[in-house]
Amino acid sequence: MALIDCDDLVFRYPYAERPVLDGVSLAIGAGERIAVLGANGSGKTTLARFIAGLLPDVAMKAERGSVSMEGRPWPAWTIAERSAAVQFVGQVPAQQLSGCAFTVYDELAFGPCNLALPEADVRARVEEALTICNLRHLVERDPFTLSGGEQQRLSIGAALAMKPRVLVLDEPTSNLDPESRDAFIEQLAALPASLTVIVFEVALRPSMALASRFLLFDGGRIVADGGASDVLTDPRCIAALGETSVARAAGSVRAAGGWPAGTPLPLTVPEASDAFAEVRRALRR
Amino acid sequence: MLSVDSVAFGYDERTPVLADIGFTVAPGDVVAIVGRNGAGKSTLLRLLNGLLQPRSGRIVIDGCATADTPVHVLARHIGTVFQAPEQQMFHANVWDEIAFGARQLGLTGDALEERVHETLVRTGLEDVTHVHPLDLDQARRRFVALASVLAMRPPILLLDEPQRGLDRAAVERLESIVVEQAAAGRSVLLVCHDMDFVARRATRVIAVARGRIVADHPTLDFFGDPALAHAAGVELPDTIALARALDLPPALTPPAFAAAWMESAAS
Repeated sequence: MALIDCDDLVFRYPYAERPVLDGVSLAIGAGERIAVLGANGSGKTTLARFIAGLLPDVAMKAERGSVSMEGRPWPAWTIAERSAAVQFVGQVPAQQLSGCAFTVYDELAFGPCNLALPEADVRARVEEALTICNLRHLVERDPFTLSGGEQQRLSIGAALAMKPRVLVLDEPTSNLDPESRDAFIEQLAALPASLTVIVFEVALRPSMALASRFLLFDGGRIVADGGASDVLTDPRCIAALGETSVARAAGSVRAAGGWPAGTPLPLTVPEASDAFAEVRRALRR
Repeated sequence: MLSVDSVAFGYDERTPVLADIGFTVAPGDVVAIVGRNGAGKSTLLRLLNGLLQPRSGRIVIDGCATADTPVHVLARHIGTVFQAPEQQMFHANVWDEIAFGARQLGLTGDALEERVHETLVRTGLEDVTHVHPLDLDQARRRFVALASVLAMRPPILLLDEPQRGLDRAAVERLESIVVEQAAAGRSVLLVCHDMDFVARRATRVIAVARGRIVADHPTLDFFGDPALAHAAGVELPDTIALARALDLPPALTPPAFAAAWMESAAS
């Protein structure tokens, strides 16, 4: 049994002509690192909220299908159970802050305190989140005076402090500078391999650094599911999200007749650097 | 024209956030302000649009000193799209949101209709005029915020992370608007972490580190010297990094890289 099962999920916003989720079926195993890619307005955030159990709610219900964790549909979970099982971090970090913490430390402690954990456990969780999200130098700051990137790190830290088994992140690195982003990705990779991470992204670079399985979400359905080299080169993915700069550079070289037939276009700078070096060696032979 | 002269700022007296900031921006410039999280980039934008006042130094926007000009008057000269567009919206539909600024300029009747329509078309929002801005996806909210600023036609635009979270079609639309504004003689300043975007569209880069300007160069010169990007804590655009790895001259865009590669392969 998969950890999370999304079974033929159909959902339509009130008054919308078409369903935004139009039969999504998906099995996610424990420890998977997944990137769900899709264009703006394609319904990624809605899908993310269903997978994280934030939907359905009183007002918004699926027309068909459901999402289950460990075989139990989300509505059967209590909020306390669910919050220790899965954490969702949305796109606007400022909206994620509790609003009742005067320091970064208290914000990180807010969730664990609500689980009524012993103080020593709360402190240990806060310490760990401070390290993973590079927040130690900001520990005494008021969360609402932090920069956009710092708030994003704080909201992810607060989610990690709940020690969830599944982390659902909606464009998690969009506000981060490259150093914070690389450090965050490195720390995420160092978390226990049993942690399942699902990121919803329009940006290719962080997706490639975070995920090993890629899903393309288009027209309310998952239309491609595989590794980076399969999904990122899919014409539907290129149409929605574009290509990496190096893939475009190699594509321009190919258009000018300078790329060997049958050689796939590279996706990352290291891949491109090796591929171009190989082309150069072949030219010199 | 925008000029910043010896500006210093701190949210309280003990902690300086920005110090010794000075630069000018000419009409037609597209200036990227880059640096680490917390370097002071967004604070700098808030000083430029008059939401904050410098502790010392002087900022002049299109002939108006920010110290002597009320924010609502300054808004005619400098328009801002903030990082979180939902924080700058307060109307119940897209049309009214975009018309708000234009109305403040005194536009009414057909002139107002025309201005709003033109802006809606340019930003790709003509089919959502009656929708509540907060019912739109994040990308289209960004375009509503941009449209509400463009409808005022300010000579200077400030864009805080405008490309963030945009898909291919939206990025292409944004880039074409930036290029068009610059070509019309307006100045664009953008805070941006996406160095590929900066490489494609900025004419100049100002790097801020620990509250000070550590570099102010034309884009190719900035990225051509990796020490500058390193000092600012930003990464090199992919095509620059690739060109360096292959000992080719720096290339800001994929076509420029391809041209450099083909030339080197031919020789």
